Amino acid sequence: MARVILRLAPWISLLALAAAWELFARSGAVTPFMLPRLSVVLERIGADAASGELWQNLGMTLYRSLLGFLISVVLGVSLGFAVTQNRFARWLLDPLVSAGFPMPKIAFLPIITLWLGFHDLSKISMVVFDAVFPVVTATIAATGGVERHLLWSARNLGARPRELLREVVFPAALPQIMTGLQVALPIALIVCIVAEMKMGGIGLGGAMITASRFADSPGVFAGIVEIAVAGYGLVKLMALARRRLLAWHPEALAPATV
Amino acid sequence: MKYLPILLCALLWEAIVQFGLVSRDLLPSLSDVLSATWKLAREGDLWTNGAASLYRGGAGLALAIIVGAVLGILMAWWRAVDAFVGPLVEALYPMPKSALIPVTVLWLGFGDGSKILLIFLGCMLPVTLAAYNGARSCEQALVWSARSLGASRLRVLWDVVLPSALPELVNGVRTALALTFVLLVSSELIVARAGLGYLIGFLGEGGVYDAMFAVVLVVAFLGFFADRLYQRATRRVLAWRE
Amino acid sequence: MNKFIFDSGEGTVKQIVVDGVSHTYRPPRGREVLALEDVSLEIAPREFVALLGPSGCGKSTLLYLIGGFLPVEKGAIRIEGQPVAAPGPDRGIVFQHFALFPWKTVRANVRYGLEKMGLAREEQERRAQAQIEMVGLKGFEESYPSQLSGGMKQRAALARTLAVDPRMLLMDEPFGALDAQTRGLMQSELLAIWQRRPTTVLFVTHDVQEAVLLAQRVVVMSARPGRIKATVETRLDRSDPHIYRSPAFAEKVDEIWNLVRDEAIKSQ
Repeated sequence: MARVILRLAPWISLLALAAAWELFARSGAVTPFMLPRLSVVLERIGADAASGELWQNLGMTLYRSLLGFLISVVLGVSLGFAVTQNRFARWLLDPLVSAGFPMPKIAFLPIITLWLGFHDLSKISMVVFDAVFPVVTATIAATGGVERHLLWSARNLGARPRELLREVVFPAALPQIMTGLQVALPIALIVCIVAEMKMGGIGLGGAMITASRFADSPGVFAGIVEIAVAGYGLVKLMALARRRLLAWHPEALAPATV
Repeated sequence: MKYLPILLCALLWEAIVQFGLVSRDLLPSLSDVLSATWKLAREGDLWTNGAASLYRGGAGLALAIIVGAVLGILMAWWRAVDAFVGPLVEALYPMPKSALIPVTVLWLGFGDGSKILLIFLGCMLPVTLAAYNGARSCEQALVWSARSLGASRLRVLWDVVLPSALPELVNGVRTALALTFVLLVSSELIVARAGLGYLIGFLGEGGVYDAMFAVVLVVAFLGFFADRLYQRATRRVLAWRE
Repeated sequence: MNKFIFDSGEGTVKQIVVDGVSHTYRPPRGREVLALEDVSLEIAPREFVALLGPSGCGKSTLLYLIGGFLPVEKGAIRIEGQPVAAPGPDRGIVFQHFALFPWKTVRANVRYGLEKMGLAREEQERRAQAQIEMVGLKGFEESYPSQLSGGMKQRAALARTLAVDPRMLLMDEPFGALDAQTRGLMQSELLAIWQRRPTTVLFVTHDVQEAVLLAQRVVVMSARPGRIKATVETRLDRSDPHIYRSPAFAEKVDEIWNLVRDEAIKSQ
C-alpha cells in the first residue's frame, strides 16, 4: 500500500499544490491581487487561448528561443570541434570561452539593442550569445575526451585519418554534447523571456511585463503557468530526443546477460 | 599568458574605433570606456549602485544557500519528503526563473525586496538539487561505519552526510552564484530604480554610451571575478576528491 | 602437429624486426619519461611471443610502436622488410578495455574493418557472421557493447580484429580486465583459435603463468626504462589439457618468475 502511494506521489503533490493554492487564495489571508485564485488564473489562460492571444505570444517566444537555440547549437558544436582540431582556434577561443562563461551575458542586452534594434534579430542574437557557451564547453570536453584506443582501433581497421572525425569522434562525443544542449535549452528560454520583458511587445515575456504594469495580477500568474508548462514540455522533449539518439548508451539499456 | 587573446582583442577594439572603421556612436573606443569608468567611480554612481546590487545579490543568495541546502539534505534523508517534494522540484526546475520577475514586482514593488525574493526563489533550486544529489551519493558503507562506531542518527547526518555532500553542494552554489548575477542584472534592467543593471539602462536611454559600455563591462567582469574567487576559496573543500 | 614446439629453422625470414628502438614520452606538462631503451627483437612468422614485465616497463609502448600508433624516433622497426609508417589492418590490435564502438552493435563493430576494405555488402555480412559465430557470440549480433559481459566484449573485439584477416595479432593485456574464471576460459579459446589458424601473435602481459601457458617464447623486460632482460623458450606440449599441473609448466613459471621478481620490486 505504501508503495502505491509513493508511486502516485508526484500527482498527489501536484494536486496538493493546486488545492493549496486555491484554498489559500480563497481564505482571505492574502488579497486577490497578491494571489489570485487558481481557478481565476486557469480561466484567464482559457480565455487567452480562445482569443488566440496565448498562441500568438507562445508562438513568438518559442520561435525566437528555439531559433536562437538551433543557431547556438550549430555554432557551438562547430566552434567546439574547431578548438580541438586546430591549434590557433584553441589559443584564441579557450580564454574567451572560459572567461565568458561565468559572465552575466544578459548585461550586454542594451548593447545588442543599440546595434541591432528592437526586433526579433536582437532577441535571437541575445539568445545565441548566451546559449552558445554551454554548447561549446560541452563539445570541447566531449571531443577532447575521446578514448585514444577507440581512435587507434578505427585506424587499425583501415580508417583514414580524415574519416575519424565523422566516424569515431562525433558518435563518441555525442552523449556529452547532448548534455550541453540540455543545459543550453532552458538558458535559451530564460534569456528570450528577459529580452522580451525589456523590449515589450508580443511574446510571453512582453505580455507578462505589460500585465504587471497594469497591475493585472491574473495575467501575471497566467504567464507564469504558461511559461512553466512550456519550459517543462521542452525539457521533456529534449530528454526524449536524447533517449532516441543515444539508444546504445548504457544508461538506456538493460543487460543482455547477467 | 593564457588570456593574451583577450588583450589582443582589446587592442583590436581600440584600433578599429580609432581608425574610424566603426562609428563612435555605435562603439565607443576602449579608452573612452575606461575614462568613463574612472569618471563614474569618481562621481560615486558606480559605488552607490554597486552597493545596492551587491546587497540584493548577497542577501538573496545567502538565503537560497541556507534554505536550499537544508531542504536538499532533508529530501535525501527522508524518503517521504523526497517522494512528495521531489517531483515539485523536478517540475519547477525547467521553468525560466526570470518569469518570476513580474510577480515579485507585483508583490514587493521596484525596490530591494523584489530582487532579493527573486534571487532567493531562483537560486534555491540548483542548491537544493546539488545538496540532494550530494547527500544521496554518500556511500551507505560510510554511514554504517559511523553508526557501528557509535554515532547517533543525527550525528551521522552532521559528521558523514554533510561532508560527503559538500563537493556537490559547492558546485551547486557555484551555479547559483552565476544565476544570482543573471537574475540580478535581468531584474535591474527591467524593473528597478537603483543598482548596476538600472544604471546601464539609465545611461543607455540617456545616450551616454561610453558610460553604458563601462558599466556593462564592470558587471561582466564582476561576474567573472566572483566565479574565480569562489573557485579559489573552495579549492580546499574539493581537494580530497579523487 | 600435436606438439607445438616452435622450430623456426635457419633462414626463416623474420616478420617483425625491432632494431635498437628507444622511446621517450613527452607529456605537455611534467618531465620526460624514457619508456624504452635500445630494444632489439625479432619475431618469425606464426610465432606466439609473450612480452612480459612489471607495470610501466614499456611493453605496451613497444606494442604501440610496432602497431604504428606511436612514431619511431630512435631506432627502426621493419614489418616484412618495410619500415612501419602508420596503423593498418595487417597488424590487428586487441586492447585491454576492448575499445568496441559503443554506438554500434556487435555486428556493426565486426563489419567496420570489412567496410573499410571496400568489400561488397553480402561479403561483409557473410564474413562478419562467420567471425561472430567463431568466437561464440551467435545470437548476440544485434546487442550493444554495454549489454555484454566483459568476456563477451573481448570476444567481440577479437572477432572484429580477426575479420580483416591480419597477418599478425598485437594483444595488449587483452584479458587483464576480466575476472579470473573468464580469463581462464578466454585463454583456452585463444589457444584453440590460434591452433586452428596459426598467426603471429605478440602478447603483452604482466602475468607469468599466462605468458608461459600461451606463448612459445617469453621475452622478459626490465623495469623502466624498458630493456630486454632475457628470452625464454617455453617448449611445452600445449595439447595436454592438464598442462597447468605438469612439472615442466611449474618449472618454467618458476624460472621466469625469478627473472621478473627483481624487476617487479624495482617498479614498486
